[in-house]
Formats: sequence, structure tokens, C-alpha cells
Amino acid sequence: MNIDENEQIVKMPVRPFYRHGGKIDVSVKGESPFIRRFLLGTAVAAIGSLYMLHIDWMQLGARAGSIVTIFGKMVHFNMTDIDFTLISFADTFSIMVLATVYSILSGLLFGLLASENIVRNRAVSMSVKAFFTFLRAVPTPVWVLLMLVCFGFGPIAGIMGLSIHTTAFFTRAFSQAFEDVPQDTIDSLEALGATRLQVIWCGIIPSSVTQLIAWIALRFEINFSECAILGMLGAGGIGFAISTSIQNYQYGQAGIAIFLVFLFAFYLERGFLFVKQSIR
Amino acid sequence: MASLLTFQDVSKVYRNGVHGLNHVTFSVWPGEFVAVIGPSGAGKSTLLRSINRLHNVTGGHILIVGEDISRARGRHLRMLRRQIGMIFQNYNLVYRLSVLQNVLHGRLGYMSSVQGMLGRYCEEDKRKAIGILREIDMGDFLNTRAADLSGGQKQRVGIARAFMQEPQILLCDEPIASLDPSSAKIIMDMIFAMASRRRIACVVNLHQIDVAAAYASRIIGLRKGKIVFDGTPGELTDGVIEQIYGTAISQLNVKERAI
Repeated sequence: MNIDENEQIVKMPVRPFYRHGGKIDVSVKGESPFIRRFLLGTAVAAIGSLYMLHIDWMQLGARAGSIVTIFGKMVHFNMTDIDFTLISFADTFSIMVLATVYSILSGLLFGLLASENIVRNRAVSMSVKAFFTFLRAVPTPVWVLLMLVCFGFGPIAGIMGLSIHTTAFFTRAFSQAFEDVPQDTIDSLEALGATRLQVIWCGIIPSSVTQLIAWIALRFEINFSECAILGMLGAGGIGFAISTSIQNYQYGQAGIAIFLVFLFAFYLERGFLFVKQSIR
Repeated sequence: MASLLTFQDVSKVYRNGVHGLNHVTFSVWPGEFVAVIGPSGAGKSTLLRSINRLHNVTGGHILIVGEDISRARGRHLRMLRRQIGMIFQNYNLVYRLSVLQNVLHGRLGYMSSVQGMLGRYCEEDKRKAIGILREIDMGDFLNTRAADLSGGQKQRVGIARAFMQEPQILLCDEPIASLDPSSAKIIMDMIFAMASRRRIACVVNLHQIDVAAAYASRIIGLRKGKIVFDGTPGELTDGVIEQIYGTAISQLNVKERAI
């Protein structure tokens, strides 16, 4: 049979494809080579990075033992200055709580403004979204550094910097939750003569509250670990305690602080799981 | 006697050029039970939703008790809307809230924004809501979350919410399309009984011709956005039905073929 003629009639030949060497090709025909290219690109970037950073594998191997030494020193908890550690930890906790709570309030406001089904003007909701996407794209430590310049060292800069990023996060997350509320629910309340505020408060918020709570719980968790880092920038808190004790070779003190962070993060995550299971 | 609802040469043209409504004119009088029938895409939903401005029309006037809702804005629009109750195919309740809270939403149009937001319903409204819920056999579910109800029960809450508005006109958009046959009959009976007891005019979109003929005092047939029939159920002959649906009557009776 003439194969060219056959292909004009049937677009996909009903016979197996053979690879070189006579083996049957079982993969999807015409699949985009994107995944293969992506993995290849990652491999190339990894090799290039190794070359760029001049990693000295010999030295790395020689000093690997110090990991054990340092961790060994850390688990020998040193109780001197424990009050400073605890106060720093309380600072971190307060920064986390205040930053998250302030961000919930502003995130609700901006989340409503960013929702297309609430603000009927697409230009408004899109520009609110775009603005907060920009705020979110800049990492939290950068915001904290900027706030440190404005407000000086201390927890205020930490709260402000963290709030900016968290508000941007909540605006995005909350507006998504609001936009998931069915248009039918909004229609039914508007049809009975409810005002815009009543539609939001009696329809949209109750319908999306489980999602809002889930996002808030998740962000508490993220904000705690962010807070721990922020201290190292000079925004106060447990991070400051950890970095100063390491700089002073007080590994026992650093160990306690790190253990506290671990313990709290662990129970925060357990609490988050509990919240997720309890809301419906 | 003045008409409750008047369509004056109403047209709706969608942006893609499709005619949703094509020069529709009719009036609804107090106490009437109007069924709107027609094939899918004939404009039944568009017609109903333009009455309370969930859809905007592109031409003509829609008068609610003499006032033009198609031009109304803001406060005026809300005042007109609260006189129009609506029951939806998918109930459209706020499912996280209790049955009682959902029914009390019917009062929002009579309250200020802040009162409504804080849930400051007066005791008299609460008692009234309970009364309506008892009337439709939902007295045992006052504080149940709406999400936990069955389809028929959800629709009863929808009915209670609509009657809580003390409307002059009740719109029902395929009220029984999501329900099993026995729930459907109960729901239709309830809507009919409650509306006629209060002399509220009803406009009901229906898929089922037999249901329309059983309850309606008047039937409007829509086809391609135009009224092709407007008369009593008695005048709805097989020939008229064929004209509305554009197919032979034998093609419409699924039931007979199945048996």
C-alpha cells in the first residue's frame, strides 16, 4: 500500500510508531517537550552555580565535623541570661500576633476592594490586586529593613514590615475567598433589597468564613517563622537573642532559644491542624 | 384596580447581539398566578430577572406598582426590590447561617445598613419568621444550619425568606427544577397556598407544562424572547404548545414513551 495516500485519508495512522532500533514507542505523540526542557534547564543551572560559587569540596569535607561539634555545644543548654531569652521570645510572640491581627483588619478591607464580585468596577479591583502583588513580590526582610530606616531599631519596625507583607498576602487570599462565593448568593440578597454592606456582612463574609480562618491560621504559622528571622535584622525578638549569643560563642544559650522556637512552631502547626479539622 | 407589574415594550439585547427579550408587553394584576413556559433559552429567566433588576434591559420600561424599576437607582431601587420576593432554583441561601437567620434576611430591605450588619432584628420580626416557618412545617429547624437541610427543606427556607419581605409580587425561577417529584408537589402547593392566602401575585418560570396548567390562573408562552401565547390554562391546546416549543407534541411527552 502507498503510505502517502493512506496518510491523506487517516490523520493519525492506526499502527504503532517504531523508534530507531525497531522498538514500539509508547509515549504520547506530539506531547510538548516542556517537562524535559525544564529538567534539563535546572540541571544546567545547578552545574553552572557550582562553578560560579567556587565550592571547595575538599574544605567542605574537612569542616563537616564542626557541625557535630557545634550542635553538641548547643544541646548543652546554658541557663544564664535565660530571662533575656524569654523576654525576647515574648517580644517575638507579640510582634507576630499584632502584625497578624492588624493585617487581618486591613486585609479584609483591601480584600473586599480587590474582589470583582463586590467592587463591580474591574479597573478598581484589578489595580488593587496589582498594587498588592507588588507589595508581596518584595520579601518581608526588605520591608523590615526599610521600616528600620524609618522607625529605628525595635519591634515597631518589625510589626510594620511584617504587616505590609501580610496585608498583601491576606488581600490576595481573602479576595480569592470572596470571589469563590457564588454569584447566586449575592443575587438573592440584592434581590430582596439589601444594601451593599448588608450583602457583604450577611452573605459574603459568612459564606467565606471557613476559608478566611484557614488562611489566617496558616499565616500565623508563617509569621512566627518570619518573626524569628526578623530579629536577626535588628527588629527585636528571639532572632536577635539567637544571633547575639552565636556571635558571642554562647552556643548553650542559642540552643535554648532555638529549642523554644522549634517547640512553639511545632505546637503552632498542631494547632493549625486542629483549626483546619474543626472548621466546616 | 392598578396593575402590580407592567412590561412596556421591553427588549434585552446581549452584547453578542442575541435578543434575550424582544418587545415584550404584558401586565400582572393582584392575585394572579402567572406561569411562564417555553423552551430553554427562550428568555424565561431573563424575563424574571429583569423584573427585579438582577438583569438590566436595553429597551422599554418595567413598572412595579406604577414606578419604573428599569431606571431606578440606589435607595429607590432597594425600596422597589423589597416589594418583590424571589425564589430560586438553587435556593441561594447563605448556607453557613441558621434557618432563622436566612429567613430574617427577608427584612434587610427594611433596615439600615448598620442594623442589618449587626443582625439587630426586632423581636417582632423574629416571631413573624418563626410563624412563617411553622406555617411551612419547618418549626423544628429554626436554629439548624441551612447547609444541613435537604433540598426540599432548603427551598422551604427560600419560600419563608421571600414571604418575610411581605412582597406584592413573588418571582419563582424554576422553583422545583432541582427537586424530586413529591417534594416538588409540596413546594408548589405551599407557594400557591401562601401566595393566594396573602393575595400576592406570582410569576413562576416552569419547565413542566402540566404543573403550569395545574396551578396557574394564566400562562405566558415565550419563544425566542417573544410572547407567543398569553391566556388561561384552558386555552393552552396541543397546537399552542407545539407552537411555543417548536416541536411536535409527541416529542415533548417523555413520560408516555417511558411507560
